[in-house]
Amino acid sequence: MSPLTREDAADLDFEAIYGQYFDLLAQIAVFKFQVPDSEAETLVHDVLIGYLRKSEEILDLRAWLIGAICHASRHYWRLNGRTVGTDAEIERERADPASLRILDSLPDQLAAREALECLGPRYREILHMRYFEGCSVAEVAARLGVKTKYAQKLITKCLRRAEREYRRKGRSR
Amino acid sequence: MNEGKLAPFARRRLVDPARAAEFAATARRLQREREAASLITDQLLRTPRSRWPELAERTEMHTCGVLEHLGNFVAHALGRDPKQALAVAELAVSIAEAVPTDAYPRPVVPQLCAHAWKDFGKALLYLGRFAEALTALDRAEAAIAECESLAHDRAIVRVVRAATLQEVDRPDESFAVLAECRTIFRDHGDQKRLLLCGIAEGVLLHRLRKYREAREAYLLLLAASPVDTEAEACLHNVIGHCSVDLGDYEAGALHLSRAIEMFHQLSQPLQAAKAELGRGRMFVRTGKLARGIAHLRAIRSEFLRHGMTEEGGLCGLEIAEALLLRGDAPEAESLARQIILEFTAASLNTRAITALGYLSQAIGERTASPATVTGVREYILSLRTSPEREFFLAALREAG
Repeated sequence: MSPLTREDAADLDFEAIYGQYFDLLAQIAVFKFQVPDSEAETLVHDVLIGYLRKSEEILDLRAWLIGAICHASRHYWRLNGRTVGTDAEIERERADPASLRILDSLPDQLAAREALECLGPRYREILHMRYFEGCSVAEVAARLGVKTKYAQKLITKCLRRAEREYRRKGRSR
Repeated sequence: MNEGKLAPFARRRLVDPARAAEFAATARRLQREREAASLITDQLLRTPRSRWPELAERTEMHTCGVLEHLGNFVAHALGRDPKQALAVAELAVSIAEAVPTDAYPRPVVPQLCAHAWKDFGKALLYLGRFAEALTALDRAEAAIAECESLAHDRAIVRVVRAATLQEVDRPDESFAVLAECRTIFRDHGDQKRLLLCGIAEGVLLHRLRKYREAREAYLLLLAASPVDTEAEACLHNVIGHCSVDLGDYEAGALHLSRAIEMFHQLSQPLQAAKAELGRGRMFVRTGKLARGIAHLRAIRSEFLRHGMTEEGGLCGLEIAEALLLRGDAPEAESLARQIILEFTAASLNTRAITALGYLSQAIGERTASPATVTGVREYILSLRTSPEREFFLAALREAG
């Protein structure tokens, strides 16, 4: 998805902007930050409403919205009692543009299943724990018996492998 | 694999039509308000200030559009007339606080309040009322403390806090706040404010006389940021000035030349003259006093020709410093008196005029050194951000 410029945004219908970004932002809040589903949707709505006062000055809407939902999710947990992690943890939780593109490129259930089927058993297990069982990075690390930082690296690696394999499979069809 | 568990991950969320409609309606409403607001704010600014409280109570003033226009007005007035900026910012605070919380969908009203208080704090900062500025900024942050989605707005407020903390001699806190804001701007892809944060850090380091660190901060910005030509020219300029302060004259000459060349390409001769000022200072520091004085005189004439009395005066003080280094106190005294006349004619800050009066007297009594001139020049420069700052004769004598 190419960045939406200020001019593009002015031309687009506002409902279309809402529809275009709602799902991506909600996925980030839910899957990356484990914000409860209904709360995530409210957060996304607030982020999109908050953007309206700045619509004239934002040059790259997609980047701005992703930054906004990541910070909104962190702030949500600060306000709602979860122990805030160390700086290192916050750093790991920061939006990884590569992994966000992967989430964005897996739009439906079929695609997700096919992507996982392309992977070896260990990769599949890691992604399953993280995204289907809803484990935090620390929980994935504990179950694999590795350090949290290494678990984060493994998850990113698995996501990239899934994307690569899925694309390769798509081309060979 | 349990297929039943696949659904939540991959399910494309359906947009709630009511929320999408609310978003679109708010967007269009804000657009309409912006268009209408220019007329309302023009009318407001034509009204005597004594009647502003009445106007502020009128419901047609209680819109996001009006508050945005007032915010823009404050931003432009700050450099020109901070007292007027303060009056308008105060009015904006009254209006923002009067907007009913349910007038717009959440989080628009807290956002409006935060920006109004931020502008008020900024105007107080410009007027040197730092404690009040910090209180106003507390109000701005409190307005959005419960709004998870306004991290970007929070960072905009906190950048003003960082600037205020610099003025109350709390540089460590200022650095910490700037670092935090930088992360937020970077995450939002806000390159413009990211660059401003970097420049603010460089300015703070420069003020702390940490010239090497300041230069490194600027060099990193030059290397890492996708800056436009104007920003690049500005960065070369500040890097050049830092280099001169560090005594690295080779690098100073290189960056100042580049800045001068770029400013001329951008048709900004006065910015080029400011970079030339660095070169003049370099000549003086390297002992080329006659060349430095001649160079600085040409720049001073350029500033005065464009009605830039304060810049001309500051440049004149650089010349006075060089004259004292050459042992030409009578000429330095005469120049100091000339600058007083120029400042008085231009009705510049009376505190600056008082400081210049002490300087000319000290030169006349042969008790002033080049460091005394530097002290007065730095004091006058500080009045730009703190116009109410007191002039301490003791500090000047100590510097001398």
